[in-house]
Amino acid sequence: MVDLSRIRNIGISAHIDSGKTTLTERVLFYTNRIHRISEVRGKDDVGATMDFMELEKERGITIASAATHCEWNDHHVNIIDTPGHVDFTIEVERSLRVLDGAVLVLCGVAGVQSQSMTVDRQMRRYKVPRLAFINKLDRSGANPQRVAQQLCDKLKHNAVLMQLPIGLENKHEGVIDLITMKAIHFDGDNGENVRIGEIPEDMQHEAEAARETMLDAVSLFSDDLTEAILEEKVTEELIHDAVRKGTLSQDLTPVFMGSAYKNKGVQPLLDAVTRYLPDPTEVENTGVDLSNDEAPITLSSDPNKPLVALAFKLEDGRYGQLTYLRVYQGKLARGASIVNSRTKKRHKVGRLGRMHAADMEEIEEAFAGDIVAMFGIDCASGDTFTDESIDVAMSSMHVPAPVISLSVKPVDTKSQDNMSKALGRFVREDPTFHAGVDPESAETIISGMGELHLEVYVERMKREYNVEVETGAPQVAYREAISRRAEFHTTHKKQTGGSGQFGQVSGYVEPMEEGDFEFKNEVRGGNIPTEYIPAVEKGFAQALEKGRLIGFPVTGVRVVLRDGKSHSVDSSDMAFQTAGRKAFRDVFPKAKPVVLEPVMKLEVESPNEFQGAVLKTVMQRRGTVVGTTEDDGFCRLEAEVPLSEMFGYATDLRSCTQGKAEFSMEFSRYLRVPGEVQDELKKQFGSRVVVEDDD
Amino acid sequence: MKKRFLNARSPLRLLEQGLHGGLGQGNLGVVIAAHGVGKTSFLVGVAVDELLRDGRVLHVSCSHPVAHVRAHYDTVFEDLAQSKHLENEGLIHGEIDRHRSIRVVPPGTLTPATLRDAVKVERETGAPPSLIVVEGLDAAELTREDLQDLRSLAGELEAEIWLESTCSDERSVSVPKGLEAQSDLVGVILALEPGQGAVGLRALKDHDNPDVSALHVSLDPRTLLLVRS
Repeated sequence: MVDLSRIRNIGISAHIDSGKTTLTERVLFYTNRIHRISEVRGKDDVGATMDFMELEKERGITIASAATHCEWNDHHVNIIDTPGHVDFTIEVERSLRVLDGAVLVLCGVAGVQSQSMTVDRQMRRYKVPRLAFINKLDRSGANPQRVAQQLCDKLKHNAVLMQLPIGLENKHEGVIDLITMKAIHFDGDNGENVRIGEIPEDMQHEAEAARETMLDAVSLFSDDLTEAILEEKVTEELIHDAVRKGTLSQDLTPVFMGSAYKNKGVQPLLDAVTRYLPDPTEVENTGVDLSNDEAPITLSSDPNKPLVALAFKLEDGRYGQLTYLRVYQGKLARGASIVNSRTKKRHKVGRLGRMHAADMEEIEEAFAGDIVAMFGIDCASGDTFTDESIDVAMSSMHVPAPVISLSVKPVDTKSQDNMSKALGRFVREDPTFHAGVDPESAETIISGMGELHLEVYVERMKREYNVEVETGAPQVAYREAISRRAEFHTTHKKQTGGSGQFGQVSGYVEPMEEGDFEFKNEVRGGNIPTEYIPAVEKGFAQALEKGRLIGFPVTGVRVVLRDGKSHSVDSSDMAFQTAGRKAFRDVFPKAKPVVLEPVMKLEVESPNEFQGAVLKTVMQRRGTVVGTTEDDGFCRLEAEVPLSEMFGYATDLRSCTQGKAEFSMEFSRYLRVPGEVQDELKKQFGSRVVVEDDD
Repeated sequence: MKKRFLNARSPLRLLEQGLHGGLGQGNLGVVIAAHGVGKTSFLVGVAVDELLRDGRVLHVSCSHPVAHVRAHYDTVFEDLAQSKHLENEGLIHGEIDRHRSIRVVPPGTLTPATLRDAVKVERETGAPPSLIVVEGLDAAELTREDLQDLRSLAGELEAEIWLESTCSDERSVSVPKGLEAQSDLVGVILALEPGQGAVGLRALKDHDNPDVSALHVSLDPRTLLLVRS
């Protein structure tokens, strides 16, 4: 049985291109999990071990986070490599949910970039304690002190340097450990030989000053350390304890540094991971008790308690369907019987494995705190497994609704079957990815969180399932809404020949801020018999599925039914359903309908001289600038821009800033489109609805 | 209430009456108060008033991040919209967001020159601002040349520029020494003083008008918006 205090479940999370995959690769090398280092986009055609999907290798980005396991200083370390692109934040969020701690990798040159901010916000949401690693100190312009200051200013961390660099840029040789006050050099072809030596004489003074600053900050978390400082009896152990305490409470971010690419600073970072990040017992995890009205329930890392495990990621690998699980409580053993708390289906645990990127190491059992892979069990990502003794689910993860869709059409009939297989798998793997068939056009529609998100799945269909598809133009997920209260009084009457139909409804509709649809029945005196009320509601609900302005769902509508009439023979469920549908069709133009569009929060970072050009790109796209922040020659622009205007933005931004700007984008909210755009959309979708306007 | 009525009835018109016409284009205004009394809120109130009258505002801050400044505007606008039952609130909110630009610069880097650069960017991408709010830069610490430069910028733009200054005495605000010698360059100087149940606003300088007693109004202590007496 594994000693839980020696398990670390960590994530390596950061901005794209800050070098986190390279860092992970070094970690695996130093922990003897791999015996050769391959670079991201390397010349050796192998690619980094964690970037195992073909596409990732080609683009040099991490898309799906692979879980891997390594050993360091007698500790089991499970590492989740997380993607850096905003379109894949669901992956990041899901990974963070199962992590106990994280390393935030920052580029020593670019510092805190917009994506670092998004990732940091997510970590804060899931209360993940973190260490920072300032990477790329070998690059020109590297300045770890400035980056640490940005951690404080931009991300509001209490960042404290635990090391100082020995030389920067092409003179970067190693680091000074401010706790031991020793210089650390990394010798050998791959930096595998750690050599501890004396601090270079010319840095002695600087190191002493930095140690004093570090002790000042760290002593806030330990009275013992404060006392020891006063009595000049500081020990390494006391400092470690204080740093750990501050890190666990997320009040302190210890900062380490180096250059993963040049094999510098990685081993001390691993020491810090095992020293300062929490073990599974030190993190409180809660689930919901399904047998007690979803009351929150605290899980304990006790292996003897009933099993609770979360499936946080699915993959179809060379070993078949593969489910990554985090065990929160109890024990998961091969051959045991487990239940999916969503479907209530029982499964028998087959093979279990510890994943090392695409390779696997088989194990017999896993305990609370472990991250493992399970084979051959059909489930969706986010499902909870228990043994049969309790009915618990892990609290739901925040899953945003898709904002963009695309029609896909296989080029031949052979591709058709494979496409269904591929889509079925992607939907199970990624809750932000949806696929379905449009009943009118009979086209297959995929939807997701951004252009690149969908592009990646189209590519994966091609590469992994050999499916060639033609894609339509990306379609923004508009919505319709009403903007004022309006009364309805509608009769549905068909009394000529055969069985008749009669239903009369009156009341009003009004806009509401929260929720999609609310139906209130205020009919008194049985003018509409109670049994027909659900039919009226159903009729309205059906009408809302497709708005009459441009054919998108109508949201934010409250319907209040106040009166009506029925007929003893001709009234029926069907008649009242039709009356509800007709009533909404009649009242919709009177309620001043509007089109809503998804608006994205855009952040663009560029050198100062391009801020005018960047601003123009936002203005041209009906964007609203929220503000600009200048800092050290760089300018960060925050804006809100309609998604429909953002297609091809990457190319435009590159061309107007000589490729020196970068942006990140995430869904912000739905907003009303301006009148002229609404008219344009109505024309485009062939709408003939005349909005009644008395203003 | 419709926007045009809201404007006509804005308590800011009281301020203008009290000041014999307000700050006026091409002039510098300074609001002085102790820490935490609400200089920023007051200035945001002035800016929102300008935005509601279809003006354009540039808000430069070296003390708060963009999200913080924006939240200030949202609060002031929402308070106003709700208390006056403003029609088409969402649309007007969107409009004023588009006509307001927030620029954050690191402390210590804000000078009349950087302000000119900011205005240049505004000009390149849209219309120049009709009101500039400078937050986090103490007017009393500016040199005479700086103030002169700011005033000429206000003149060139035909805009009003509002600055702030912090004093130590909360209840009896006077023109700080650093600003006294330069006060000829400033059109209007206002003092904010916390009183019982309200914050008092009085003029310490009103252009060339020797009688500054005409302006003495109360502000809502929560929102720092002017209240009609």
